[in-house]
Amino acid sequence: MSLRTTDDTEVIVTGVSLSRRRRQLRKTTESYAFLSPTLILLFVLMIVPIVMVIGYSFQDNVILNKSPEFIGVANYVEILSDPGFWKATGNTILFTVASVIAHLVLGLAFAMMLNSPLLGRFSRSFFRALYILPWLFTVAVIAVLWRMLLAPNGVVNFLLHTDIEWLASPQLALGTIIFINIWAGYPFFMVSLLAGLQGIPNELNEAATVDGAGAVQRFWNVTIPQLRPIIVSLVLLDLIWTSQQFALIWMTTGGGPIDVTEVLSTFTYKLAFAKYDFSLAATSAVLVLAMSMVLAVFYVRHQKARD
Amino acid sequence: MITMGRGRRRILTLAGAATAAVSVLAISGCSGSDAGTGDGDGGDVTIEFAQWWEPELPDGEFRALIDKFEDENPGITVELVSGPYASTKEQLFAGAASGTMPDVVGLDGAWVNDFASQGVIADLSALMKEYDYDDSDLASQIQVDGSTYMIPVVNFVYPMFTNDALLAQAGVTAPPTTRSEFADAAAKVSALGGDASGWVLPLSLEAPNGVQNDVMSWVWASGGSMLKDGQPDLTNDDVTSAVDFIGDLWDDGSIASGSFTMKEQDKVEEFTNGRVGMMIDSLAHINLIRETNPDLTFSISALPAEDGYDGERGIPYASWGIGVAENSEHKEAAFKLVEFLMSEDTNSELSTMAKAFPGNSKSVPDFVNDDELFKKAFEIYQAGYPANEFTGLPVAEELMRQLGEQLQAAFDGQQSIDDALKKAQEAWKAEF
Amino acid sequence: MALTVQNQRRAGKVALMIGLILGAVFAAGPVLWMLSSSFKSNTQIFELPPRLITDTFSFDAYAAIFTDPETMRFFLNSYIVAGAVTVLTLLVAIQAAYAFSRFDFRGKRILNVIIVSVQAVPPITLLIPYFGLMVALGLYNSYPGLILTYMVFTLPYAIIMMTGYFNTLPKELDEAVRVDGAGSMTALWRVLVPISIPGIVSIGIYTFMIAWNEYLFALTLTRTIDMRTVPIGIQLLMGQHSYEWNQIMAMSVLGSIPVLILFLFFQRYFISGLTAGSVKS
Repeated sequence: MSLRTTDDTEVIVTGVSLSRRRRQLRKTTESYAFLSPTLILLFVLMIVPIVMVIGYSFQDNVILNKSPEFIGVANYVEILSDPGFWKATGNTILFTVASVIAHLVLGLAFAMMLNSPLLGRFSRSFFRALYILPWLFTVAVIAVLWRMLLAPNGVVNFLLHTDIEWLASPQLALGTIIFINIWAGYPFFMVSLLAGLQGIPNELNEAATVDGAGAVQRFWNVTIPQLRPIIVSLVLLDLIWTSQQFALIWMTTGGGPIDVTEVLSTFTYKLAFAKYDFSLAATSAVLVLAMSMVLAVFYVRHQKARD
Repeated sequence: MITMGRGRRRILTLAGAATAAVSVLAISGCSGSDAGTGDGDGGDVTIEFAQWWEPELPDGEFRALIDKFEDENPGITVELVSGPYASTKEQLFAGAASGTMPDVVGLDGAWVNDFASQGVIADLSALMKEYDYDDSDLASQIQVDGSTYMIPVVNFVYPMFTNDALLAQAGVTAPPTTRSEFADAAAKVSALGGDASGWVLPLSLEAPNGVQNDVMSWVWASGGSMLKDGQPDLTNDDVTSAVDFIGDLWDDGSIASGSFTMKEQDKVEEFTNGRVGMMIDSLAHINLIRETNPDLTFSISALPAEDGYDGERGIPYASWGIGVAENSEHKEAAFKLVEFLMSEDTNSELSTMAKAFPGNSKSVPDFVNDDELFKKAFEIYQAGYPANEFTGLPVAEELMRQLGEQLQAAFDGQQSIDDALKKAQEAWKAEF
Repeated sequence: MALTVQNQRRAGKVALMIGLILGAVFAAGPVLWMLSSSFKSNTQIFELPPRLITDTFSFDAYAAIFTDPETMRFFLNSYIVAGAVTVLTLLVAIQAAYAFSRFDFRGKRILNVIIVSVQAVPPITLLIPYFGLMVALGLYNSYPGLILTYMVFTLPYAIIMMTGYFNTLPKELDEAVRVDGAGSMTALWRVLVPISIPGIVSIGIYTFMIAWNEYLFALTLTRTIDMRTVPIGIQLLMGQHSYEWNQIMAMSVLGSIPVLILFLFFQRYFISGLTAGSVKS
């Protein structure tokens, strides 16, 4: 019996053929059985609040005011015509894309270094432990630590013999927080890619070497293709997460100086808790959600194409 | 066919067992202690008091004070809920929105207007009337539309601190008393080179109280105002001259670098480490500075006023305020706690603990007689008047932030100070 | 004349070492500073010129933390919550990822989009409605409340990554088992999972970390001091008027140790070299 991939191995085994519809139904039921815990949890705990937030965006005077009123898309008009929103969007895109690319490159570089056969066992463990360190700390501490290090009279300026206002300068602030975010987030890629590198069959690399491929060619033609599914997932997740990054930016620069590090998350936060306008904040949140859903749809299409 | 090694099976079994164990442990009766806010038999009441004060006061002292209240009021138990200061505002709102707000809340003056208009905090004037409370001893009450919503329990006053040694090094013998003396002293200290600066100005937009304490204070110190009939008036002479003055300091290079993201704590650190000549700061830091750097010789003085001004000087202050939740079910007990904290003796005790000035006009904290610096501060306090025009304004924190943004743009050279003030004025008007 | 293999290897090793050391400075430098600050008195943390070790080197900050029962309770709570979240999330995610990776069913794409998108709502706006929901469900100020909340945060990540890992394993693997009459559960737990251990471990570690380090919802969903977690404990040290710098650093160091140990303990699963290559037929 050949191992042709067929939808229904049971047919092969038992010799009884099922109608297509019954097969489809069984597949669907089975799938949903596997998905049920997830669905219950997410729907009860997440979808309900998210729907509420979307609802708020169409109203005024929400949350605490006793008389919320439905005002259609007025909130959306107000937000979309606010130049602050667009500035925040621009900063967010810049911040996110730069961070994610750097995360990927750095994470891959570290993962490959750690995976190298030239490394002894002890060194491997030692460096591996060192490289995940940025990951271990809560965001508040990372913010506080880097503020300390990057202060005009701080360690970094001392070591570089400079007097640069890393976080307080309107020109440098955005780049600086991107750097801090890169430091804080690359271990995510590194660890996942390390796990992925383990899954690459040695035979592939050996076969390539036999065919005369050099290290670089092996990298591009063997390693990357094998890692692609994981890389795509990682990039998608990181794009979404980085665009949500709030505490790191808020606690280092507060969206300043002026508005150079204002991102959508700080913009939304200020609407909610400085202007106390939850309807507008909800509107901003829905817009962020919409933008991320575009990413999500692309990702899912890409998954479908692979199947 | 792939055989599964014994090792694998063992791992999975272990994982399964661990899961079961953890789930059982976690789900079964692992709830936090219940506050049980409800009237039990005999009218026993438990009220919650949410504040950020307990972690900042010496260990156990605040709880001891509250225990005294419980002793005096059998039948009322007070549960202290302490949270990080930076998150207090959001937590109060979230609590109010979900009906889990504590009965008594610690408040900052900048939040009062918004909380009151959103119906989060109760009208204290009404409560005072209901419970026949004599409020004549209260040094101040924060009101919105004629009703009190917050009572300042203790006040942290912001005089000027001077690093005497650093100033002496620069050839300045006494703390400056006028603006031109200040500018002079600041320039001289900055000229010392190294990492010394004359003045330090925290203009962070995250916690923008620098606009209140370090910028507007100059206006108030010369008896000026940023409001007119309760409406914003940022383009008047008082404000313009004060901001111009700061602008000159900036251009002279007398201000420490890093202003745009500097917060109050950073300012204190710079001063404590002897890198700054003068700063406007809260009295709450006197002991902190002493402990951190015992070798630092510093003194307290009133904020310099405009040359030729000899009227009363306004001193900025920040309070630990108290309010009662609107949807508290135990308003009577809650108000009793407020009364307790504002009573003459308790208020003195609390002020001593917090190293702040009392909200009860009759109270006198101990340290005023024992300590030179505090004594001086108290004199300044009594010779002037507490000035904080932001308290009670709508979206006060946001107003500070808006002005802060414009000032940053001006100091960075992107616009003139007049334009900055004009834009801020427009932004403010929109909020009123 | 090309380098001999021997020299190539040596050059490679040197280059590798340089890269590794540069990386180490980048990664661990700030952490070293954190560590050094935790042993200083608050006075010296901001002094110039900065020094790694000062003459007042002491364990005071750590002592203050260990002798405070409230703080120790923070650690206990964090352990319980993070541990439970990790185990439960992995269980649920593995099942869901199996469905996404191996099956085709109606609504698959929409569900996928939804699962990815739930993470895309800014938490600060979600906070209040979510909080109201938790109170209504009676989960306020309790372990289950926190655990379920974190599961909701970590599931999308876990499912997406797990699906990705499963997708790298050829379908022939589980088909092979089915030919012998085994059902889907067997295919999943006896075939796919054992091979995916490296992926599962990395997802598990990250899940633990997200649960361990989360602050906003932990603060909102807990009220009494006996339910609060380590990040809240750290923020409590950042007062309105002063920061306990050395204690903040010390507590962070202590807070990072559990995850570090987890990682060190489980890292051999990263090198177990389980390959899917054995299925080439």
